Amino acid sequence: MNHIKYYSFPETPGAALAGLLNRKTEAMAVAGGTLAAKTLPETVENFVDLKNLPLGYVKKRGGDLVIGATATFDAIDNSKLAKRWAGGVISAAAARCSSQLIRNMATIGGNIARPHSFNIFPAVLLGLDAKVRVLTKTGVKTIPFSALYQPEFRFRPGRDSLILEIIIPGKTRNWACRFEKFAKTEASWEAYLTLFMGIWMKAGVVKELRVAVGALSPRPFRAESAERVLSGAKLAPVSIDAAVLELGRDLDAARAGEFKKEVAVSLFKRFIKERV
Amino acid sequence: MKKKTTGLEAVNGVFEISLGVNGAKRTFAVKNTEFLLDALRRYGYKGAKKGCDTGDCGSCTVIFNGKPALACLIPAFTAHGAAITTIEGLGTVRDPHPLQEAFVEAGAVQCGFCIPGMILSSKHLLDVNPEPSEEEIKKYLDGNLCRCTGYVKQIKAVKAAAKKLRGKGRVSGV
Repeated sequence: MNHIKYYSFPETPGAALAGLLNRKTEAMAVAGGTLAAKTLPETVENFVDLKNLPLGYVKKRGGDLVIGATATFDAIDNSKLAKRWAGGVISAAAARCSSQLIRNMATIGGNIARPHSFNIFPAVLLGLDAKVRVLTKTGVKTIPFSALYQPEFRFRPGRDSLILEIIIPGKTRNWACRFEKFAKTEASWEAYLTLFMGIWMKAGVVKELRVAVGALSPRPFRAESAERVLSGAKLAPVSIDAAVLELGRDLDAARAGEFKKEVAVSLFKRFIKERV
Repeated sequence: MKKKTTGLEAVNGVFEISLGVNGAKRTFAVKNTEFLLDALRRYGYKGAKKGCDTGDCGSCTVIFNGKPALACLIPAFTAHGAAITTIEGLGTVRDPHPLQEAFVEAGAVQCGFCIPGMILSSKHLLDVNPEPSEEEIKKYLDGNLCRCTGYVKQIKAVKAAAKKLRGKGRVSGV
């Protein structure tokens, strides 16, 4: 924070991006600031405050749920629309973030732009097959959430591009989902494990299954082997045990500690058994 | 027509910002390294307390543009144009806010360090939800830590204040 020379508070995403790109000095965009304010790189001289951008919404668009990048955790926690979507998992996840005071300030955009492994939303958005709209100097790009942290995506949100909104596809609206955060205390920022589980069944057959894991590795990941075992199958003790075994292997591949693996596997087993 | 300002530039590392504190227009000169908590205290608003300085304890809570927020996490220059309420803006010794009265009457104050933040969080809760359940009070105050008590009397105080405010037909106490 020692070297901030310019402070801008633009009112449109275009002006904010111009604020990031147009000065010769290093720039950074900040919304809620709960993760960024105390840890600004000393090389940053240009502070672009996103608080005035009209991106604080949670709304439906064409069957999808759309969350603006500057929607706070509190707004998402209390959104009637989010509470009705995917069993309310998005609101429930927002409510598990730290304390009310943090939830009043922190935004979903900041939570995914600064990819701390313990953040709340990465596992949730990965599990819900979310897409992200990002404003870059070459225009607006809509990319799968999973692509946001891949090297092929050449932009750095908050530095040379801006996250505009997150799109949760309509197909997930009626999924049964659960989010679990395993941390030292309920209010701890740094979770040891975040776990998203989502399932969509028809006539007793699993049509869609998502198990997304956060906090174990720099980026969240999907336990795809476990998902594959149950996809298209009926829930039966044999298939559930096989999926649990595969989840354990997925977690071993991520070098999860034994106790985190135990917690994740137990939570998954409980979630699946409730569906039987 | 005057062009709307959308930026400030620091002079020798100092920003001059205009803001509203407890309903009064103020101008602060703040260093680019300074956080709102330090600036407020330097300008005499010492009701905002410096506890953890990392956003964990809630002692520095102020109402920032209508919502309780952690002043220790807000770079001071970003308060330009903001409306802030500190505990000094809520009531006086002669005319305390119903929440302040309720905290005293319930014996909810021991060392008192966390109380300004707790009262400001409670005030906002009662502004948006005049009749909160115990669970809602607990959830709303989960960021305001108290190391003296077990929170029982503070929750009782918030309930009592809610009842008093509903009786007076006054929800916003400022």
